[in-house]
Amino acid sequence: MSTLLHNTVERLDRPSAYYVGKNKRRKYSQDDADKQEEPVDNLKNATTLYVGNLSFYTTEEQIHELFAKCGEIKRLVMGLDRFNKTPCGFCFVEYYTHQDALDCLKYIGGTKLDERIIRTDLDPGFEEGRQYGRGKSGGQVRDEYREEYDPGRGGYGRAYADDQRQREEEDYGKGR
Amino acid sequence: MADYERRPHGPRGEDDDYDRRQRRRYEEPLFVKIRRQLLTIAESAARRVEDDAIQIAKSVTDNYGDEEIKGVFLDTAVDLVLEQPLKIPFIAATVLAANVLKSEPVSDILKRAGESLQKYVNAGAWREVKLLLRFLGCLQGIFEGDGIFPVLEEIFSRAVDLQTASSEDLLGLELVKIILFTLPYAMASPATGFDTQATALLEKTDIIASTPHALVDLVNPFSLHEGKPTATESIISLMQKHLQRESTQSWELACLPRPWRRIYESLGAQEDVRDEGAQDGEEDRSPNSAGPGPKHAFPQIVMPNPVGNGARAIFPEIYLSVYANQDIETVPPTTDIASSLLRDSLVDTINILDFNRIATAKYLIDVDCYFTPNTFVKRATPFDRLRELSTDRPQWKPEDVAVDAVFSQLFQLPCPEHKFVYYHSVLTECCKIAPAAIAPSLGRAIRFLYRSLESIDLDLSHRFLDWFSHHLSNFGFTWKWSEWIEDLELPAVHPRMAFITGALDKEIRLSFAQRIRGTLPDPYQEFITEGKEKDTPDFKYLSDTTPYANEGKEIMQLVRKKASDEEIQPFIDAIEEQAKSLGVNDPLLPSTDALVTAICFVGSKSLSHVLSCIERNKERLLAIGPKSPRAQRQIITSVMEYWVDQPGIGINIIDKLLNYTILTPLSVVEWALVDKLEAGTVLAKTHVFEMISATVGKVTNRLRQIVAARTQPSLYEPQLSVLDDTLNREKADMQVLFRVIEDTIVSVAGGSNDELMERGDGSGTMPEDEIIRRWGQRWLRVFRRKAGVEESFIIEAMARAIPVGTVAPPAFEDPAAYDRAPLDGDMDIADGVE
Repeated sequence: MSTLLHNTVERLDRPSAYYVGKNKRRKYSQDDADKQEEPVDNLKNATTLYVGNLSFYTTEEQIHELFAKCGEIKRLVMGLDRFNKTPCGFCFVEYYTHQDALDCLKYIGGTKLDERIIRTDLDPGFEEGRQYGRGKSGGQVRDEYREEYDPGRGGYGRAYADDQRQREEEDYGKGR
Repeated sequence: MADYERRPHGPRGEDDDYDRRQRRRYEEPLFVKIRRQLLTIAESAARRVEDDAIQIAKSVTDNYGDEEIKGVFLDTAVDLVLEQPLKIPFIAATVLAANVLKSEPVSDILKRAGESLQKYVNAGAWREVKLLLRFLGCLQGIFEGDGIFPVLEEIFSRAVDLQTASSEDLLGLELVKIILFTLPYAMASPATGFDTQATALLEKTDIIASTPHALVDLVNPFSLHEGKPTATESIISLMQKHLQRESTQSWELACLPRPWRRIYESLGAQEDVRDEGAQDGEEDRSPNSAGPGPKHAFPQIVMPNPVGNGARAIFPEIYLSVYANQDIETVPPTTDIASSLLRDSLVDTINILDFNRIATAKYLIDVDCYFTPNTFVKRATPFDRLRELSTDRPQWKPEDVAVDAVFSQLFQLPCPEHKFVYYHSVLTECCKIAPAAIAPSLGRAIRFLYRSLESIDLDLSHRFLDWFSHHLSNFGFTWKWSEWIEDLELPAVHPRMAFITGALDKEIRLSFAQRIRGTLPDPYQEFITEGKEKDTPDFKYLSDTTPYANEGKEIMQLVRKKASDEEIQPFIDAIEEQAKSLGVNDPLLPSTDALVTAICFVGSKSLSHVLSCIERNKERLLAIGPKSPRAQRQIITSVMEYWVDQPGIGINIIDKLLNYTILTPLSVVEWALVDKLEAGTVLAKTHVFEMISATVGKVTNRLRQIVAARTQPSLYEPQLSVLDDTLNREKADMQVLFRVIEDTIVSVAGGSNDELMERGDGSGTMPEDEIIRRWGQRWLRVFRRKAGVEESFIIEAMARAIPVGTVAPPAFEDPAAYDRAPLDGDMDIADGVE
């Protein structure tokens, strides 16, 4: 294992730009910037991963089957639609060790599960409530406005689909 | 510094796209450019690497007063040596070019490399030592006197000491390996006149390198005598032979690149000509050429005596190729030194760069950039096309050589440096980068492994199974199943049938039955049974013909309603009383069956569901084992019978029950290898091997954690004794576990198992009997090896442990101790056992 200060190629076991960016935004939006922990410190012993871009139909067993290749899984929390309590395409995987979580970023993030490229991100740890989608209609925010049809994630984005439907209905009336 | 560190190499690259476009408008500072040029040296087949090396050397030497440029050159060059071994000859060539122009950067980098080398020597990090010595070996031409040879001699003398002290020594072999893999690079450097020294060194290493080590057989991937020709030659004995041959062929070393030739031509510097007679080259050089620049002293290296080993455990290595025995040689044969040289660089690249599999895959695909041009055929040349090519030069396919190196690691015994899934991911990325080139190579590898299933080590055949199904899951589950249709006639216990059923099962676990059904030709359809497509298997007590049907149903309803223990008890009692009246001698068995089957059924929706069911009934389940070991094994039977069509889910639940200590490791082993041995046929079931391996792995992992706790520095009484007791107790348990495995399987392997002898006509000569005996032998080999590896790990680790009875020194005695990692009093391990 390389222990160099600066690696000669990028490392895949770092927090994502999304995570770093989210914390930066939060940091600058607060007056008391010191209160916010540095994102890297926050994750230096992290054993949990956020897993995204799952199909709504992917089961716990499938996730377990793949993610156990990086070490024993301590806990698996499925992401659920806030209203229907059905899987909505993400989950948290908690390992026993930080190293297993890092290995998962390196070896599993960006590969396929259930024939979809999945995304993994180091996470400071699961807290009750985080298993629910934060989108308006209960799922993940990204599924609200998606304009592409994704059969594994409920078709078109919900807000987008509603919009379309309304427009079609109006057009139908005009044609008369 | 941070800006240019984050070059896009991985999937994360896109995130920064916007930022980078903005930044591009500025002129790149020179030090940034130098770093970029160094990092990408030799990567492009479209550019001449020699020109790039000269350009870097010029930029560095012209601007060496600039601290940033100096720093970037020294850091990047040495980092590349340590992280990207394929580029070492080119980094060295850049240094050789710089030496023609200016002395200072070269003496600085030698100093830096020397310091780094010393650090790794002290730490016992032998791979890093090997790579730094390789770099210095490439620079042999600019050293005073004998250059690298005295260090190699000293390393050899340490190896001799170790070997003399113990015939089981492995570190000495590792040291010899370093010497053998440094020599060719020194001999391919501009230096001349070292033939005598090289040959003399080789004569010395011969005794150590060519003597087979006792453990070589342990790591042999093909162990069965009846099977394939066994490949028992270790990597160092092969390399020793290669070098001896090269020494008689004036060190042709055809595959090693010599970028310095063209560089010296361009810079008007002649090669350093030094003949055997004149020991001091300085006077001999023709005075009218620019020359390769000044000579430097070889960095001072102090070899500790004795030397130690770092974190990586050493085992003998064997050369494995999945492209052996093809009618066309697509990889260098083991008679050619290229086989060793290519493999060594690729394997190090793979193992070092585990933090970016995409970069690893790219360097593997680009392997032809890093060796002498025309060492390989053109990339992606189809196998069949090779026949049409002229045969007067090698027909090595770069893809095959690359893929072969990854498999050599995935199939490394006893285990590779990283998790298996890393090697899976490298192959996946290779396939993504160059599908047309890689996919056919993988196809041929798969066919080789499939044909070898009867003789390959059982551990490896499971790694193959696991990789195969995982790989297909990344590529739409497409495989030419039609080519194995004939084998479907084989008996179920045949290794090929076991592979096919095991692979389909694993595919389903990563996907779902219906999906996999759709990828299979007709003759395979019967493997996807109706039961496999059912999300919720039937609850047997719903059928009134099942004994205790009513009680079973009641218990299920109560489990579903999350009823209390007291509510369940009457129905448990009812089953046990009925059983007693029916003359069942262990009434706990039917009651356990009803409870566990009910838990499985109610929890069938998902792993979380079954876990919360188990959690709620934990006390009752925990109480079963102490009352009756047979009832404890009934728990396993009930789980595995409920999930008979999806054994993957079953073994997953077993694994969790072990964590809850509702099951003991011994109960799992006895269940599979005593209760369910079924004349040894159970040994052919891939999920049973998986279950036993996982159970044994749990035990050995735990023991390793205890050893780690026991051997931590600055641990004193009373903790020492507590941990020591725990260690001894659990070690004894582990030994019992291995003994049970040994005793049960040895009878199958030897054909003396009673049931096995009673099969068929009792002659023990049915064709399947031989197959079953072979399963037994293969199982035995795996678990004997595992037992041996763990045993020696403990012995080795404990040799460095603080003895029991040591009390803490008074705190004020050693103020420096405060700087070291303090013991945080973490007694987790011991606490967990009490």
